Amino acid sequence: MTASIFIHPASWFILGAVLMPFARRLGVQKVWLVLIPLIALGLIHFLPESFGNVSYLGFDLQFGRVDKLTFVFLHVFALMALMGSIFALQVKESGQHIAAYLYVAGSFGVTLAGDYLTLFIFWELMAFASTFLIWYRKKQRSIEAGYRYLLVHTFGGLVLLAGIFLLYHSGHDLSFGMFTQEGAGWPEYLVMIGFILNAAVPPIHAWLPDAYPEATVTGAVFMCAFTTKTAVYVLARAFPGFEVLAILGAVMALYGVAYAVIENDARRILAYHVVSQVGYMVCGVGIGTAMAINGTAAHAYAHIVYKALLFMGAGAVLEMTGRSKLSELGGLYKYMPWTMVFTVIGGIAISGFPLTSGFISKSMIVAAAGDNHQIILLVMLTLAGVGTFLSVGIKLPYFIWFGRDSGVQAKEAPWNMQLAMAMAAFICIFLGVFPGALYSMLPYPVEYAPYTAYHLSETFQIFGFTGLGFYLMVKYLKPHDVSNLDLDWFYRKGSLRFLRFAAGPVVAVNEWVSNVYRTIGTRFTMAAARAFSWFDREGIDWTIDGGARSLVDGGDRLRRLQTGRIQHYIGGAVVALLAVVLVVFLI
Amino acid sequence: MMARWIGFLRDRAHLVKRVFFAFLVFAVAFDFVIERPYPHFFGDELIGFWSLFGLLGCLALIIVCKGISHVWLEREEDHYDR
Repeated sequence: MTASIFIHPASWFILGAVLMPFARRLGVQKVWLVLIPLIALGLIHFLPESFGNVSYLGFDLQFGRVDKLTFVFLHVFALMALMGSIFALQVKESGQHIAAYLYVAGSFGVTLAGDYLTLFIFWELMAFASTFLIWYRKKQRSIEAGYRYLLVHTFGGLVLLAGIFLLYHSGHDLSFGMFTQEGAGWPEYLVMIGFILNAAVPPIHAWLPDAYPEATVTGAVFMCAFTTKTAVYVLARAFPGFEVLAILGAVMALYGVAYAVIENDARRILAYHVVSQVGYMVCGVGIGTAMAINGTAAHAYAHIVYKALLFMGAGAVLEMTGRSKLSELGGLYKYMPWTMVFTVIGGIAISGFPLTSGFISKSMIVAAAGDNHQIILLVMLTLAGVGTFLSVGIKLPYFIWFGRDSGVQAKEAPWNMQLAMAMAAFICIFLGVFPGALYSMLPYPVEYAPYTAYHLSETFQIFGFTGLGFYLMVKYLKPHDVSNLDLDWFYRKGSLRFLRFAAGPVVAVNEWVSNVYRTIGTRFTMAAARAFSWFDREGIDWTIDGGARSLVDGGDRLRRLQTGRIQHYIGGAVVALLAVVLVVFLI
Repeated sequence: MMARWIGFLRDRAHLVKRVFFAFLVFAVAFDFVIERPYPHFFGDELIGFWSLFGLLGCLALIIVCKGISHVWLEREEDHYDR
């Protein structure tokens, strides 16, 4: 048992979090921050297929269940924890690191969970820990955004829990396995809603672009990697082939990209892009063929790395200049050239340029849609690809690094931030050049070859002419200092309206009811009270008093037996002992 | 170093533009010579289909999204704070 605690990567991150203040006191916080993810990165190669099986209150909990689908996610999570930690090295505050590590631990716990109860515990740990990554920014907007984030995730967690309860009620053994579309009912779909809330599927996606831009510079890097991709993993594990996911995913891919085209804040653009890219993965889960699931896993892997890279780049700019709005940035290439190079690599990787990781992963899902004769999905996903290149491939770098010179002067980001970005950029290109390295980790054997002449031709044309479109419309795309309404309106403005409604009509109704109650209800209550009082006096008191009298009499008789002399007691004890011996002897 | 190199290119914007247009010509020309796999739908058989798709898709996204933003969704940054 003790051995299996330490084979679980989440334990190491929890240990890392608990001992973080001591590491800081000893002056080794930086070493500690790098050490823990390195241990996890090594450890995941030695995990047995099943471990940490515990029987608790009649439930069989399984803390560790490892197969190929698990492994590819564990691998990228560990890698991401390492890069995120390096990016965050200059943060002295232990609290941020503790929150990040507990968050990562939650993510590992969910990925390894073999049953729904274990999954739920770690699921909630993720939600609570990540909220602190928003709060630690310590601005009024962040604190408010953090509360909204926590409330939405608590709601999602409750829906998931309701699904789990109903599953148990219907005789399911709560092991975390695959559902089939034919047999799915309320319990399965409630679980699915709980999962897709974390995957930020519209219409329950607005928490993501609301919260991520308000998180700390380093917190956002962690957040963009873990919550949505853990959700993709659990969806791929439980709901492959559910058609509703294919449709939602394709809609999501376009929805995110549409907002990325019109937003102004760099980190909000990237947040909407998480929605869009996770859309590809949700769509892949919905298609559900071996190739689509492979594509989903590959895309999750590639996406975590380049999206983290982009958040690091935007975060580095925010850290050095204090700005993240495109309308306030421009001409930074002179001051932060290396950050620019790395971010542009992230931008072309997310767009899916040849020789980058996006080219070999995203196309797998698109091709899976084509092979499955789902042409509408194929066209929607390809159009989302056009939007991706337009918004993150061109618009974002153009308005931060080039464009109009904003007059902002900044220093290059600190060495550790640059190192983390360099690592991520290296992985983006490495996977593009050697796709086999990623393909060998995928859950099913890969029969897909990304570098065909036709795929290259398609990519060249789409990028070339999307670039032409940008060139023609660049004036129209000039960023303004605005943000756009999204569905969070319903709980941000909608709740205010509800309050106003509550203050007006609801209060009036309430007072009217109180008046009615005072005039009619009080009289009725008084009469009823008199009736009860009579019953109490005549009925209950008589019974209880009678009982009490007999108790007092009994006590009096018992008292006379007690003389208070020790000899009498000893004598009595001896008699009793003899009686016992006699009885034992006779029997 | 990097900054100087980019400055060098910026001073020669017309050259960069020409290279870009040359790339567009190449992309379409390349589509004439390649081998086509089993097509998923009609677009896979048309030469230059993806060029048109890229251009029109990009223009449509910009016009539709920016349009919706201007007439409906756009608010000031502190909209919710007031």
